[in-house]
Amino acid sequence: MLGPDVAAYLIVAAVLFATGSLGVLIRRSPLIVLLSLEIMLNGANLALIAFSRQVGGEDGQIFALAVMAVAASEVVVGLGLIVAMARKRLALDVDEFSTLRG
Amino acid sequence: MTSAAWICLFLPLGSTALITLLGNGIRRRTAAWIATLSCGGAFVAAVVAFCSMLSRSPAERSELSTAWTWLATGNFSAGLTILTDPLSVFMMLIVTGVGSLIVAYSIGYMDGEDEERRYFAYMSLFVFSMLMLVQGGNLLMLLIGWGLVGLSSYLLIGFHHERPSAVAAAKKAFIMNAVGDATMALAFFLLIQKTGTLDFGPVFAKAGGLSDTVQTLVALGLLGGAVAKSAQLPLQTWLPDAMEGPTPVSALIHAATMVTAGVYLIVRTHPLFELAPHVQDLAAGLGTATLLMAGLIALVQTDIKRVIAYSTMSQIGYMFLGAGIGAYANAMFLLMAHAFFKALLFLGAGIVIHALAGEQDIRKMGGLRHLMPKTWWAMLIGGLALAGIPPLSGFFAKDSILASSLARGDWYGYLLFAVGVAGAFLTGLYTFRMLFVVFGGEQSAYVQEHPPHAHGDRVAQWSMGLTVGVLAVLSAVGGWIQYADRWTPVTNWLEPVAKSLVEASGKQETLASVLAVGLGALGIGVAWWIYSAHRAKAPRSWAILEHKFYFDELYDAVFYWPAVGLTRALYAVVEGPVIGGSITGVVGAARWAGQRTRSLQTGFVRMYVFAVAAGLAVLVLVFVAVK
Repeated sequence: MLGPDVAAYLIVAAVLFATGSLGVLIRRSPLIVLLSLEIMLNGANLALIAFSRQVGGEDGQIFALAVMAVAASEVVVGLGLIVAMARKRLALDVDEFSTLRG
Repeated sequence: MTSAAWICLFLPLGSTALITLLGNGIRRRTAAWIATLSCGGAFVAAVVAFCSMLSRSPAERSELSTAWTWLATGNFSAGLTILTDPLSVFMMLIVTGVGSLIVAYSIGYMDGEDEERRYFAYMSLFVFSMLMLVQGGNLLMLLIGWGLVGLSSYLLIGFHHERPSAVAAAKKAFIMNAVGDATMALAFFLLIQKTGTLDFGPVFAKAGGLSDTVQTLVALGLLGGAVAKSAQLPLQTWLPDAMEGPTPVSALIHAATMVTAGVYLIVRTHPLFELAPHVQDLAAGLGTATLLMAGLIALVQTDIKRVIAYSTMSQIGYMFLGAGIGAYANAMFLLMAHAFFKALLFLGAGIVIHALAGEQDIRKMGGLRHLMPKTWWAMLIGGLALAGIPPLSGFFAKDSILASSLARGDWYGYLLFAVGVAGAFLTGLYTFRMLFVVFGGEQSAYVQEHPPHAHGDRVAQWSMGLTVGVLAVLSAVGGWIQYADRWTPVTNWLEPVAKSLVEASGKQETLASVLAVGLGALGIGVAWWIYSAHRAKAPRSWAILEHKFYFDELYDAVFYWPAVGLTRALYAVVEGPVIGGSITGVVGAARWAGQRTRSLQTGFVRMYVFAVAAGLAVLVLVFVAVK
């Protein structure tokens, strides 16, 4: 098998995922939150493909493709929302949107 | 033969479906014609079945026809089966014949009434239900017809649903009948458990091997159903209230359908009753007690329809007496004769009520003889037939039942005979009290204010006049088909199905006839003496008769008020504190928990994400730790 061991890939994937979730948790700009989400998804993708390669099946790769499709559509919706918010001249700050407070 | 029977069964149902589906798309008169023609067609089919049965030898006249197996559970199965035999054809002829005349009469009587279409749909349904009851090829089919008859009577008694009294009467009839339905169903459950079938033949064959207790219980259950449907003691209180329905409905309930079902049930299941002779005696006793009681109450009734209603109760009492002592053919013969003259009396009363703008109180009537001569003659024929005066139909039928009770030959038979003969006196008295008060004497103030006038167009008048005429002829000559014990076609016809247990001798027939006719005529004479000639004042009526022997009050005291009291107590003790309290408690707890936890919902998306991530982390830790 070419390349490093599966553990190396998993470490990278975990770092990506952690970076992404940190971004989601601490950044307030919806654009950055969206970007961080993408990073999380890609971390998951990397883990999927790494496992797929180790096991030798194609399931993980197919699954990763599906995740990419979901991610693309999610970006479309998310960016659409952000554009709509900008056009209404709303503050681009996720903490401002707290109407659901109990 | 069986195909004619199937057609006879389903024509009225088809009419119900057609009228219901067409709804407002047809004119009212069209609905009336659909119902009339379907019932008439059913009568023709019944006649066809009768004729083809005549051409067979008596041993081959019974035929079962199964459409399909309707219910199969375990080793019990019941088919959608109809039975065509002499007894069911006999009933089919009465139900469709008299029934179609009554429906035809309704064309005129209900003319201009709101919701006429609904009325005719119900009428056809009623005829169908009764046909289902008498044609059912097993006890389950019979029970279905039985229940449907109860339903149709409920719908028709409560036809004037804007009148609270009509709604109450409908509910009363339904509930009283439900008591009987329940005892009957219990008897059927017992039969299924012990014999594994509800088909007539096998049940009757296997019932002989059951224990005495089971036989008695089954017979008692069936008797309960019969008593409720036929308005006998002690479940009789619904019948007078059922007069709230339109008059033709009363005629249908009393003459062709419904109340005769109990007599039919006893005759149909007579092998089960014969296994429990005490229950048979009880049936005869109940019938006899009812005929006496109803005759007494009828003496003080002031509503023209209620007088006739109590006379029905009394006549059904005679039929129960006959069926109870085993004179099945005589009971069925009286059932037929009664169908003629009772339909005649009700429809005649309907003409009177119609002509007097809906007035039913006989105290306000009087002197109608000259104003409505044709109705007077028809009612007179009906009254004479009811009182058992020869040569009208009631004479032939009633007297042979009394003779059969003589033929029983023991003290019980003599007692039944004595009460039955006394009932004949009462019958003459109350019938002619009504006739003399309504038709005799001077015209009352009310009649002068509301001179009788004809309603409706020519078709409406013809439909009422013609049907009453036909029934008057039938009441007069309908009894001539049997003159026990010299000429007995009815007995011979029914013999393959229900062979009578007692045969009265010629001497007993003569004795019964002489006594019954003599006392009936005496009753008419007394009625004439008091109510027509006014030679004596009518004695003050007793409170016990006015209150119908306090049966309503008794049932109120025994069932209604305890139930109300129990309900109120349960409301106070269980409903309020326990059920209501527990629900309030649950609601309060949920609200309290919500108040406490609402602050967790900050509205910050990041908080939620953090919660998810933290939860995930905890899960991972748990998994790792457990592993």
